[in-house]
Amino acid sequence: MVGLFSVTILVLVAVVAGTAVGIVVLRIWRRIRNRRLAALAAGPRRALLAFVADNGEEGSEDLIAIPDDAWSAALPAALGLLGKLRGDAHAALVSVFLHRGAARAALTDLHARSGVRRARAAQLLGDLELREAVPELCRLLTDRDHEVRVVAVRALGRIGDAKAAWRMIASLDDHDPVPSLLATQSLAQMGREAEVVLSAALDHPQARVRAVCLDALGLIGATGAVSRMARVLADDEVLDVRVAAAANLGRLGARGALKPLTDSLDPPAPDLLRAAAARALGDLGAPAAVPALAAHLDDGEFQIAHEAAQSLRRLGPPGIAALRERDNDHCREALALVAPELVGAS
Amino acid sequence: MRDYVLVLLRGADYAVLAYFLALNSSYLIMIGLASVEFAKHLRRTTFTGADDMFRSPLTLPVSVIVPAYNEGAGIVAAVQAMTALRYPRYEIVVVDDGSTDDTFEKLRAHFDLVEVPRVVPSEVPYESHVVSVHVPRGSGSLTVVRKTNGGKSDALNVGINLARHPLVCMVDADSVLDPDALLSVAKPFGDDPLRVAACGGVVRIANGCKVVAGRVVDVRMPGSWLVRVQVVEYLRAFLMSRTGWSRLGGVVVISGAFGVFRRDLLVQIGGLAHDTIGEDAELVVRLHHYLRDRGEDYRVIFVAEPVSWSEAPSDWKVLGSQRRRWHRGIAEILTKHRHMIFNPRYGRIGLVALPYYLIFELLAPFVEIAALVLLPLGLWADAIDVAFAWRFALVAYGYGLLVSLVALFIEEVSFHRYPRWSDMLRGVVAAVLENFGYRQVLALWQVWGAAAAWRGRPAVWGTMTRTGFDTHEPTPVETVGAGK
Repeated sequence: MVGLFSVTILVLVAVVAGTAVGIVVLRIWRRIRNRRLAALAAGPRRALLAFVADNGEEGSEDLIAIPDDAWSAALPAALGLLGKLRGDAHAALVSVFLHRGAARAALTDLHARSGVRRARAAQLLGDLELREAVPELCRLLTDRDHEVRVVAVRALGRIGDAKAAWRMIASLDDHDPVPSLLATQSLAQMGREAEVVLSAALDHPQARVRAVCLDALGLIGATGAVSRMARVLADDEVLDVRVAAAANLGRLGARGALKPLTDSLDPPAPDLLRAAAARALGDLGAPAAVPALAAHLDDGEFQIAHEAAQSLRRLGPPGIAALRERDNDHCREALALVAPELVGAS
Repeated sequence: MRDYVLVLLRGADYAVLAYFLALNSSYLIMIGLASVEFAKHLRRTTFTGADDMFRSPLTLPVSVIVPAYNEGAGIVAAVQAMTALRYPRYEIVVVDDGSTDDTFEKLRAHFDLVEVPRVVPSEVPYESHVVSVHVPRGSGSLTVVRKTNGGKSDALNVGINLARHPLVCMVDADSVLDPDALLSVAKPFGDDPLRVAACGGVVRIANGCKVVAGRVVDVRMPGSWLVRVQVVEYLRAFLMSRTGWSRLGGVVVISGAFGVFRRDLLVQIGGLAHDTIGEDAELVVRLHHYLRDRGEDYRVIFVAEPVSWSEAPSDWKVLGSQRRRWHRGIAEILTKHRHMIFNPRYGRIGLVALPYYLIFELLAPFVEIAALVLLPLGLWADAIDVAFAWRFALVAYGYGLLVSLVALFIEEVSFHRYPRWSDMLRGVVAAVLENFGYRQVLALWQVWGAAAAWRGRPAVWGTMTRTGFDTHEPTPVETVGAGK
């Protein structure tokens, strides 16, 4: 047994020493690599900053002429700028990337074996806002790798081509779907051109798809979809979807939303929906909602009375007058926030 | 009879050795899993979409709840730093838990607070009385609540009631968050909103680090060896271990110093428990309990970066009090949820995570002390000889040293947070000290803490003497205690 212990100790000493040496070697290697990369990237970084400072009007030839190894070292900075820039500067930097063959390489990488490479390529194509890449990115919506699908959705949103809307909606009806919030954001980025597809998808059998489309319609301000959204608010079989319909009808601020929202304030609508309707009426901004909201200031459900009071506050003078006529905790709380020194503290 | 005792002693020594080998092997497995996770994380940094999340109007808003008890010296700086976090929409709810110092006065003076009438719902039960609610004149992201003293759990429950957003982040008043910390820890909720129930962030030690305007700008090893040892211990036991558990789907501890939860779930499970001192871990175990009972498909996640920085005890007395409290918490939680342990109904939590905590967390200090007794006893009784004894000790503790060094190595590969050579050297020495001396002293306190739980002694938080961060400003020494 002692012999076994001795061997074990020797092995332990060797591994401990090896680990310690590993730490030292790693540090030295990291330092050398970082110094080399910093030296290589210094010039391109300066050129990039000057290019952006000139709004992309001058210096593109310099960037295109940078040797490949130096460009690779400066690539993180260039990609960072690409994601942040908008307008002319973005277009000019995109042109530099295209001249350097980045789009071609990225389109090839969309077929790479590695999920990380496919995702990186999709991210770059999105940042380049390359419309030609839309069909290929749509194909990635059914990629085997969840992360790749997520990046594809984000890239399609960044490109903002409404032709991808129906494919994206279809990808939500999957056993491992992309995140709803991300899909909503991307669909909203496609703008009013996607309204027809989104509106039609309110009849989709999947509750999740309906909820995403409602949010996207609310975000793009699709006032033409009010009647369809009102129908979902009244009739949908899933409570969360009805709540989403209420919130987005309020967000749209259209006159046609007043009646369906007011109708949802009372039972038999579930409490969660009633509270959402009370909040949405405040967002709607229609003074005509005041009587209906005032009638709920003493509601037995905390959230409904609370939301009604806060919505009345947001509706301005007519709502505040209604709050002053009542004397309960919710009204006092809402009225306190109307005080000049607290405007903005809600 | 003597032969029988000798055989027994020798057998016990081997059992202790086997336990140490199993314990350290389990650490190595966790470090292995964590390193896979870190590699995955690092390869994906270019397409995580954090910037998109920051810009999206749909990013879930967060209520950051900060319980504070006698935090007068640092509360203004802490809240200032939190107001500068990079996150699209969030509010800060500071709950002054009946402080007897100038915590509230400092907040009132600095943020120009005015009292507002506010209806405090009772969705989550709390035992104290809310005295008043205050908001800054003309700006909306901060709410300060004054209440009678009721303990940290009670303060957090009041904060949950007042939280207006769907996600609730619990942060200690003395924590310094990295600018992107909230964005990172809330991101899993956006990525998988239907399943993610809670997400914890890593807590690192801030002693010795340079803090400017509420940000850690220069990471250094602390000056005290006691804290340096804790740095290595945090790396191995918290960063690596919890990341490993996250990969296994078995996270049962999210530190109260930095964690995000879905508010609706906190309401459904009744918020934090008042009857345990390890309220943060108990909350997570109860969340598992609740969601498993309902057959829900859910995830509890741990993210390794960015981080919350916290001050660690720099003297033995405070450290002892902290570790007694932590171990008492483990004992209370495992006792309270004992029917989950080895219960297949609770999946990986019941069959893997909780049994692990029972065998390798709760019982570890008992075995450690048993080793300290049995080895000399075996020598004295001639059950083992000296050659066996020193080799035995070297194998048992040398393996522990190896585990700590591997943790340092993985930290170096993945995050490289300590760039100075001297700091890394100190880390290596601290790894030695952790295994030869520190662990043994710790075991005594831990046994004491567990015994207090089982004897039903009243829970005492004790005091935490803060020396403040290296801010290049005079930092007063204060004495604080959270809660009762």
